[in-house]
Amino acid sequence: MGEPVPPTNRRTFLKSAGTALAAGATLGLPQIIPSNVLAAAGKPGANDRLVIGHIGVGGMGGGHLGYTLARQNRGDVKVVAVCDADEKRLANAAKQAKGATPYRDYRYLIERKDIDAVIIATPDHWHAVQTVHAADCGKHVYVEKPACCTIEEGKAMVAAGQRNQVAIQVGSQGRSQRECYKANLYIANGMIGKVRKVTCWHYETPADNKPLPDSEPPPELDWDLWLGPMRWRPYNARYLHGVFRWVMESGGGQIRDRGAHVMSNALWIMNADHTGPVSIQGTGVLPTKGLWDSALTMDVTYEFKNPDWTLVWSQPGEPVPYFDREKVKNLGIREQYGAVYHGDKDKLVVWVGDGQVFTEMKAVDFKKPAGGVDVHQSPSFDHHEDWFQGIKTGRKTVMNIEAGVATAFLTVLGNLSVVLGRKLQWDPVKQEIVGDEQARRMMSRPQRYPYCL
Amino acid sequence: MTPAELAAALKSKDDKQRAAGIDSAAQSGPAAIKAVCPLLGDPETETIRAAKRALYKVVHDAGKPGDAAKARAVEKEFVAVLQTSSSIPERREVLWMLSEIGGDDSVKPVAALLANADLREDARCVLQRIPGKASLKALNDALKTVPEEFKYHVAESLRKRGEKVSGYPSRRLVPTKHTSVQPVA
Repeated sequence: MGEPVPPTNRRTFLKSAGTALAAGATLGLPQIIPSNVLAAAGKPGANDRLVIGHIGVGGMGGGHLGYTLARQNRGDVKVVAVCDADEKRLANAAKQAKGATPYRDYRYLIERKDIDAVIIATPDHWHAVQTVHAADCGKHVYVEKPACCTIEEGKAMVAAGQRNQVAIQVGSQGRSQRECYKANLYIANGMIGKVRKVTCWHYETPADNKPLPDSEPPPELDWDLWLGPMRWRPYNARYLHGVFRWVMESGGGQIRDRGAHVMSNALWIMNADHTGPVSIQGTGVLPTKGLWDSALTMDVTYEFKNPDWTLVWSQPGEPVPYFDREKVKNLGIREQYGAVYHGDKDKLVVWVGDGQVFTEMKAVDFKKPAGGVDVHQSPSFDHHEDWFQGIKTGRKTVMNIEAGVATAFLTVLGNLSVVLGRKLQWDPVKQEIVGDEQARRMMSRPQRYPYCL
Repeated sequence: MTPAELAAALKSKDDKQRAAGIDSAAQSGPAAIKAVCPLLGDPETETIRAAKRALYKVVHDAGKPGDAAKARAVEKEFVAVLQTSSSIPERREVLWMLSEIGGDDSVKPVAALLANADLREDARCVLQRIPGKASLKALNDALKTVPEEFKYHVAESLRKRGEKVSGYPSRRLVPTKHTSVQPVA
């Protein structure tokens, strides 16, 4: 196979299947349909069931697999494939997803025409390539955040989503949480006035205080495949698993890992998914030891125009403790990060921002007045369900690829400003850096063949 | 710090001294390159990392808008290392530094490494990233000279640069790697 297979998605599949059935009826041919294809009351038939493949099944990927297997037990999805570059993780996933075919190489998985949708939970440097390839093969995609590592990757992801008309949900699930919805509703209805500033706080990126020398990769790991689009380098145990987040090329530190949650919520609440800043000023402390090279501490200020507002990422910033200490204890609220929305009449605090979101009671108790502004509400406050509905109905998901990329761009640009040690000017319409040749080059990073966009 | 003092600081076993070297590297500018680059092939991992961090400070400082002369001076030093060093790790790092700061003067020495089996993939990526007609011509020329299997790589770069390439179609979606893990019934 040299080129992408023609897109086949559930909609086109059902259309062609329907045509074939109708043709069979016309010709008087017998139609033998397995009983499990037919829906029964309370149990969807196979034709309503999304057929899913998982790419990356450790860490967050393991959580996604647990979710879809639970949905499989309810009969509304079918997990048929699992994939990982780590054979131990893959074997573990295969045990859980009984009957699913295991793959090391995701390209075998996405070339399967019976798969409608994929869930990608690989390290960040794989997100764009796998999303674009999957979309080009007609698959709907749920991809972990942050969406992309470079500006070029983000643009390619948006283009792939649009040309293939597939539903892409980025895993910044804060937007789907009830209290984030309530915070958005509260602010959208003018309860704190015009918001001119959003300040985010988060604790520092860890330092690699136990550096290790390069070594041979463990036998279960396909190191070449794990590296994928990144330039080749010897294996080092400090690249993975999980800690890839602290390496700039494969992660980018807390601003990308958690900024992709907290700033995603900020763009959503500020109704700014389709805009971008005009300038980015970052300062920070880069590590001087070990493999990890993401900024330990950093402050980034993003200036937006029309409307004018400022977004500040501070790592660490000024923490705002949750006021209900009993609730903190009972629910395990991680109050080490969040954002303050500064309106001209009042302010509102939104704590955490990922699978956990908490806001002040004034917003939680708020009821939208008649004629008031409404905002997107994910069905059952479930981020995956929002994606499933997007696939079935064609409506935009709450963290669609355009929004996911807009958020990732903030994190990419913040890091770039810190690394280069200078302020960047950004054209939010053309989505490119202005007036800085070196920074412009760094909007993309050539990828190792054949793991290219 | 003089270049020699900088190199000594980066080679130090003391974390603080290495950090001080990294922090002062930008001030040393192009003059630091010849002294620091050999550390990229040092047997001590933390020395390599410190040298890399220091050199990127130089690259990013020289890349500031409005100081083209400094950028060209840095490029010249890196090109000299590329042409004289025989160390693979050293040249691999220098290639990627040139991808951020190199211009037309880098193209020929980078393109020469397309003949080096250990470095050709890095060199291809760097030529893809350096803007301008010279790098584009180097990639087009390479399509006639590199080993047959590597022509697919070069063709991918040319397409990224907006060129139409006949033959050598993209193989990015060709699956190649099998697992030994079996499905569980």
